[in-house]
Amino acid sequence: MMEDEAFTDINGKTISLDCQSHSSFCREFTVSSPKTSMAKVMVYTCCVWLLSYTVFFFTQNTAVLSAAIVITLVSMMLHIHFVKVDHESLLVIGSLGIQLSSNYASGRETTTFIEMNKIKDIVINEAIYMHQIIYFLCVLLKDPSEPDAVSSVVPLFQSSKPRLNCLVKIYKSCQEILSKC
Amino acid sequence: MGPDSAPGPAVPWQKVLWERQPFPDNYVDQRFLEELRRNEGVRQYRYWSVVKEAGFVGQQLSCVALFITLWLYMEQGLLSPEMLLLTSLVCALLGYGLHQVLTSQIEPGCEPRTRLADLQSAAIFLSFTFGFSPVLKTLTESVSTDTVYAMSAVMLLAHLVSFPYAQPSPPGSLSLNAALFASVCLASRLPGALHTFAMLSCALLVFALWPCLLQRLRENAPNQFTGVCVGMCIGGVGGLGTQSLGGAMLLAIALGSVTLLCPLLLVRLQRHKDNIHGPWDEAEIHEDLSRFLH
Amino acid sequence: MGQRRRVANPPSQGVAGARTDCVRVSDRKHNICMVSDFFYPNMGGVESHIYQLSQCLIQKGHKVVIATHAYDRRKGVRYLTNGLKVYYLPLQVMYNQSTATTCFHSLPLLRCVFVRERITVVHAHSSFSAMAHDALFHAKTMGLNTVFTDHSLFGFADVSSVLTNKLLTVSLCDTNHIVCVSYTSKENTVLRATLNPEIVSVIPNAVDPTDFTPDPSQRQEDRITIVVISRLVYRKGIDLLGGIIPELCLKHPDLHFLIGGEGPKRIVLEEVREKYQLHDRVQLLGALEHKDVRGVLVQGHIFLNTSLTEAFCMAIVEGASCGLQVVSTRVGGIPEVLPEDLITLCEPTVRSLCAGLETVIAQQRSGSLPSPASIHARVKNLYTWKNVAERTEKVYDRVAGEEVLPLDRRLWRLRAHCGPVSGSIFAFVAVLDFLFLLLLQWLVPDRLMDDAVDATGPHRLWRQETIVKQTKSRSHSKGATSS
Repeated sequence: MMEDEAFTDINGKTISLDCQSHSSFCREFTVSSPKTSMAKVMVYTCCVWLLSYTVFFFTQNTAVLSAAIVITLVSMMLHIHFVKVDHESLLVIGSLGIQLSSNYASGRETTTFIEMNKIKDIVINEAIYMHQIIYFLCVLLKDPSEPDAVSSVVPLFQSSKPRLNCLVKIYKSCQEILSKC
Repeated sequence: MGPDSAPGPAVPWQKVLWERQPFPDNYVDQRFLEELRRNEGVRQYRYWSVVKEAGFVGQQLSCVALFITLWLYMEQGLLSPEMLLLTSLVCALLGYGLHQVLTSQIEPGCEPRTRLADLQSAAIFLSFTFGFSPVLKTLTESVSTDTVYAMSAVMLLAHLVSFPYAQPSPPGSLSLNAALFASVCLASRLPGALHTFAMLSCALLVFALWPCLLQRLRENAPNQFTGVCVGMCIGGVGGLGTQSLGGAMLLAIALGSVTLLCPLLLVRLQRHKDNIHGPWDEAEIHEDLSRFLH
Repeated sequence: MGQRRRVANPPSQGVAGARTDCVRVSDRKHNICMVSDFFYPNMGGVESHIYQLSQCLIQKGHKVVIATHAYDRRKGVRYLTNGLKVYYLPLQVMYNQSTATTCFHSLPLLRCVFVRERITVVHAHSSFSAMAHDALFHAKTMGLNTVFTDHSLFGFADVSSVLTNKLLTVSLCDTNHIVCVSYTSKENTVLRATLNPEIVSVIPNAVDPTDFTPDPSQRQEDRITIVVISRLVYRKGIDLLGGIIPELCLKHPDLHFLIGGEGPKRIVLEEVREKYQLHDRVQLLGALEHKDVRGVLVQGHIFLNTSLTEAFCMAIVEGASCGLQVVSTRVGGIPEVLPEDLITLCEPTVRSLCAGLETVIAQQRSGSLPSPASIHARVKNLYTWKNVAERTEKVYDRVAGEEVLPLDRRLWRLRAHCGPVSGSIFAFVAVLDFLFLLLLQWLVPDRLMDDAVDATGPHRLWRQETIVKQTKSRSHSKGATSS
């Protein structure tokens, strides 16, 4: 079973949620952010180059221009490698655990796995983020020795920041699996 | 809801909270604000009595002017330190005598300080000032003269501002310290150590002892006190006039505005006063509660 | 003006139409946001007032959220009993737990709260709270109805009160309704802010009578105990107390004092105790928690209050509710609080207070005082939170039908009401605030903010099974922090 739905993130950009049901105990949710638009890249590049050309005009130093090219290229690479997340996914496997992974635009992938005996619950929480108050999904962790206390909180979908309707959909689906085990 | 829908005043409204009254919460009774009192206990000032009080401020201003005049004379060498010391001594003795007369008049029961104690403190003070005058003389040598003058001016101003005009004796520690700081600054610009010593003794006389005497005078002989104030003002303007005509003019204008113009303003503006009191005012504790502690 | 939000009444429905409306649907429910700098974990009269009032309004079916500033590590969103939601916003605290105000910096977060909670009435508390005034200002910019509760009295004599009164004038001149806790407080507020007295309601504070029941068995019968419970500060007249203690202790060897509270004036009492060797007769208990207050009150025969100023004295009602005979100074709103036979009023002097206390002591010895149970029975129904909530509800009903001044008339009103200089300045600030709001609405449009899940009010989900689990874990999760 597979569905693909369009939602928006907290800034109003369109994101897509892809729910894949591998079995009744295993589901995968993937939230894909929109691709960086070419126009935005062009605008940033133009700004940097215009600035460097102005500096060059007054200093007559060609090193400024070459530095600008290098800086643009390097920052672009750093951006797609460390900042720009293409899609984030949450794989819930009942009785085994939860795997969180985020894929960067460069293809780099970071993965975290949380064992089921450390997971207390998955909840939707509210928090103050910059100058907004937003909802986010998070995993509550417990110390196996103290099963009633929450030891720490792992927020999910940190870079895509989907809105509440999307979170509720994921939440309900996750609870279905968690309640079975 | 609103006061328009209030029922007829079958029962009179009471200013109480414990009773559920048949009035809406925003009901405004005719007795609203009846406990408001305006301008309670406001003093009505009369012009000449205010001028008399303000004369004391003018007097202190003249004291500072007189001190600066003496310093100018010393700096130009027109006045020898011996002469100043001698005059100061005579003035101090006369003043001391007057002070004794006035004190014995007022509080016969109280234990007065003995003459010996007075003499002792005077001796200690003079000997210390004399001993340290060479040090004080060179104290500000590394500081530029402009800075010293600016500092003295600021300090004398601070003395005038913080002077406790309501109870002039003893002068408040801030005002006395500011004045002495200014006189040390000024005295250190004089040619010799003896000059410094003379100037500092004179500063003590003017800024520390003179206000004490004045207060005794104010308590016991108010008429003479007014006379002394007028005399000091004239003396200050006259003294400064021998050195700088412009300065004397400025001082005269300042004295005129402080003693004549400001009281006029105060009396005129008094009628615009609108001070409101009521049950919401914080109660004041008038009793002396320290008797329970000490 | 495009500023009026979707939940509020359309502006075409003017005042006249609205009044009939509010009579017709008196059971309409409001979405209320209480704003004050003072809330738990801070302790005091304002804090408990906000909490108790909110709880009663929730029980009446309204939706209530509270906005306050962050206290140390307590920031983000928390839930209290019955789903009372509290926003601890990360705003800088300046002085005495009051936030700094720049008139603008709190707008983004407060707007976010007002929009996502679909607030219809903003209720600000305490004139000492800068955040309350900020919230009033922003709420008016956003076209929301506003109510303000003043809990304190102010003088008119000194420079600081001249300035604060001017600010209060500006803050209250276009606020829909003001609530004061006593008639004296109403007179004071009307004068301070030059208000029309008809938009000021008097709704007293309340005490929970079940918390303060008498227990005469706790009294020691071989002595007479005078209880004092207040912060030990100048305004509470602790210096007077320092005079009363030796005066009365010398005359009555069986007299004991029990003093609860903490503050800078504790040293005065300690000195008195030291000087007159009264260590066994004057007990200083230090700061008391609210739950311990009753345990101290029931040990006494007489409750003494020496305040120099007081808008509405909760302490004397608590004392009387525990069956104690009350002796108090005649200041502020105190004469309005208790019937004359339950309280002995004295002038704020040592002599008058001693005379009042002596009379009561003599009555106590002769046994002519009413019994604690009968005092409690009379006091317990005087001030209840239910009553306060009902009367506050009426204020909300009235306010919800009123029109919020659109920007042009608001500016005109500020100019007309607050004088040419400060009126113009704050009119300018109001314009800036409006422009800032437009900028924020462009940056983060209202439609992008998720409506919050209601825990209270008509659409509450608090009791429903699926959400209980979710909200419960939300309330104790530490993830609700700001970044």
